[in-house]
Amino acid sequence: MFLRLVADSFGRRPRRKLLTGAALALGMAVVTAAFSVSLDVGDRLAHEFRALGANLLITPQADSLPLEIGGVDYRPVNSGSYLPEQDLGKIKTIFWHNNIVGFAPVMEVPAEVSTASSSGAPVKTTMVGTWAHHSVVLPDNRTYATGMDQTNSWWHVDGRWFHDDAPEAIVGKSFAARNNVKPGDTLHIHSADRSISLTVTGILSAAGPEDDAIVAPLQIAQQLANKPGQYRRLYVSALTKPEDDFARRNPTTMNAADLERWSCSPYASSIAYEIKQVLPGVDAHVIRRVAEGEGSILTRVRTLLWLASFAALLAAVLAVGASSAAAVIERRSEIGLMKAIGAGSGTIGFLLAAEQLLLAFVGGGVGYALGIVLARFLGEKIFGVAPEPSILVFIVILVLAACVTLLGSAIPLHRASRYEPAPILRGE
Amino acid sequence: MPDRKMFWRIVRRLFAAQRGRLLVILLALGASAALTAALLNLQVDARDRLTKEFRVFGANIIVAPRNTKSSAVGAVTLDESIVEKVRQSLPPHASADSYLYLVASVSSANSSEPLNAVIAGKRTERIDQSPWKSAIVTPRDDTNLCLVGAKAAQQLHLQPADRLTLKNDKAEETCISEIAEARGDAQDSQVIVNLDAAQRLASLPGKVSLIQLSVPGTPRQIREYIAALAQNTPAADVHGLRQFTDAEAKIYTRVSGLLTATTALVLALTGLCVMAAMTNVAMERKNDVGLMKAIGGATRRVLRLFLAEAALLGLVGGIVGAAAGLLLSIWLGKTVFGVAARPRLIVYPVSVALTILVAIVSSYPLRRLANISPASVFRGEA
Repeated sequence: MFLRLVADSFGRRPRRKLLTGAALALGMAVVTAAFSVSLDVGDRLAHEFRALGANLLITPQADSLPLEIGGVDYRPVNSGSYLPEQDLGKIKTIFWHNNIVGFAPVMEVPAEVSTASSSGAPVKTTMVGTWAHHSVVLPDNRTYATGMDQTNSWWHVDGRWFHDDAPEAIVGKSFAARNNVKPGDTLHIHSADRSISLTVTGILSAAGPEDDAIVAPLQIAQQLANKPGQYRRLYVSALTKPEDDFARRNPTTMNAADLERWSCSPYASSIAYEIKQVLPGVDAHVIRRVAEGEGSILTRVRTLLWLASFAALLAAVLAVGASSAAAVIERRSEIGLMKAIGAGSGTIGFLLAAEQLLLAFVGGGVGYALGIVLARFLGEKIFGVAPEPSILVFIVILVLAACVTLLGSAIPLHRASRYEPAPILRGE
Repeated sequence: MPDRKMFWRIVRRLFAAQRGRLLVILLALGASAALTAALLNLQVDARDRLTKEFRVFGANIIVAPRNTKSSAVGAVTLDESIVEKVRQSLPPHASADSYLYLVASVSSANSSEPLNAVIAGKRTERIDQSPWKSAIVTPRDDTNLCLVGAKAAQQLHLQPADRLTLKNDKAEETCISEIAEARGDAQDSQVIVNLDAAQRLASLPGKVSLIQLSVPGTPRQIREYIAALAQNTPAADVHGLRQFTDAEAKIYTRVSGLLTATTALVLALTGLCVMAAMTNVAMERKNDVGLMKAIGGATRRVLRLFLAEAALLGLVGGIVGAAAGLLLSIWLGKTVFGVAARPRLIVYPVSVALTILVAIVSSYPLRRLANISPASVFRGEA
């Protein structure tokens, strides 16, 4: 009988129920979309922030003082210490290897360049040796391709990058303009008593001191400096968690539980600590300018979006609550009739609640589906990647829908339980 | 006009007759106005705030000498007249640092032999606030303090407040050292002194190596500023620090897109919610409409009456709600950005207007009542 009453109520006024259900679905769709996007936004933005390039810098531990201005080291080749290139694969063996987006070793060699077109004296400049897109062999014999195209994605090459195993180079924009170098030209490069000829494959605009330099494969720079298999600095770009006070604590003074928690969070400093453990003789620094800026902006944006999601939730709760309240108020005469033929307040409340719950689950389910579509659309529009549907959001949405409809109908139901059937049936 | 007087009298009576219901509608309208105003204000403010927030990255524009004939340290310089030009062109909340780089030998009481290090002479043209925690402070002109990078300090075995001697050719400067926090970039291995000292040391009076500008603004504003400055100072090469400008532009577009999308969704939802509530209330007015028609009210006049009521409700709800919303957004701004959101005056009338619009549109179903016949209403049929 109970089920029949519920079914009847849906069958008799399908349009009304459809309207209430639609309001519910719409509200829940918006909440689903907002939550899915907010859950996803941290990861998405962390990836976007990698456009800033490296956030970790690895240098030799026992080193002379670098003469570094704006990212280029002006030390002569034979001063300071170097690090072995063959160890680099180990970086991808640390616990957070999936968070390492890319890395690139760098070695600068002061060089004298003469071009085919310029008849004058050779020009002094710096040759930066690095990887463009190098395949690193990992300790487990897999290969991993990385290089400057990942760590310094703002470098724009007119033409193409050099191949890492070819005698090729790209030339900084200002250097090229001054010395009239074009892609396809051949450069003769001398350093100390060694010299080498490179083909120019592209013009680099980096908006940094590299605009005045020549960028060549690391291997070439090693040959020129007579330092085979070595590099001076390593830039690592990693996905990190914004630092908090806990992150800034010194790992050497932590107790075991704290150390475990600390190294199980992908803070820039804990990734640096792990890299230090796998690469012997290095110092790993967090590039504060990048890491701190990233952290503070990420935290702000995330809070902002949660706030907006919360506003969406509030609006949805209001909408759903109001429409379910209206649905109950409308049925006053029905309630009166049921009371007149002997139904108790409890039975009526139970009946209406069952109806509302059914509506909530159907509306919530439809709303979730709609919301996922909406979230996919938004995610693709804004980030180019759709957020993953999350089962957590689904459960939250169903519970929320049930709570809100019940709460929305509770107040009018409470009032309805005090109704005297007679005046209602008279239409007063 | 007695007609108008009567009209307003009926409106007054309509309000007085059902205070409880009125309160509910006002609450709904007010809440939606508050939400609208808070969100709109936050949205406008957040974009603006974000562009300022990006300045935690430090400089985003570099002014460098144009024709660098050689890449040796400190070989090419800019004249300080350009610094003056740049300073005059700075927009509000922007700052500029001029630097002069040279390599000099540094020695301290504790170090056995002098060390070659990059000396950076620095002068800050204008600081509003430096949002970056570990940002390096500029040594003041009148003190002989120098800031020693963490790596340099380590190699010099430096203690805080040690006396440092800088030597380049015949020039010599001494200063009291202060050790900077490690930053993971080039400044870790530099010694920062004030610009005048560096100029004396390099025998390059009135010269700087480059100027670093930190200019807040949307990606477009920054592009325009760079173009304008480049035109103004043809002797120098002005360019954006692409590492930061590119990433900032990317992130700014993403975040503002997200904000706009969420705001639009919430606004649409709020509008629908208020509409649903108002429509329900309007439909309950069946009896009133029937009665008015029975005693001879023209349909248009009756409708006008209810629309006037709705508009008035919207106005009151909007004025009160939007004010509350602005206050709310100030508080929200404080929790998100640590700085209270500035109330934008344009947001207020916009949210009030939106509320009135929603109130009127949601009374629209009353039109359906125009066709009902009074008799059926009184019989309780329609």
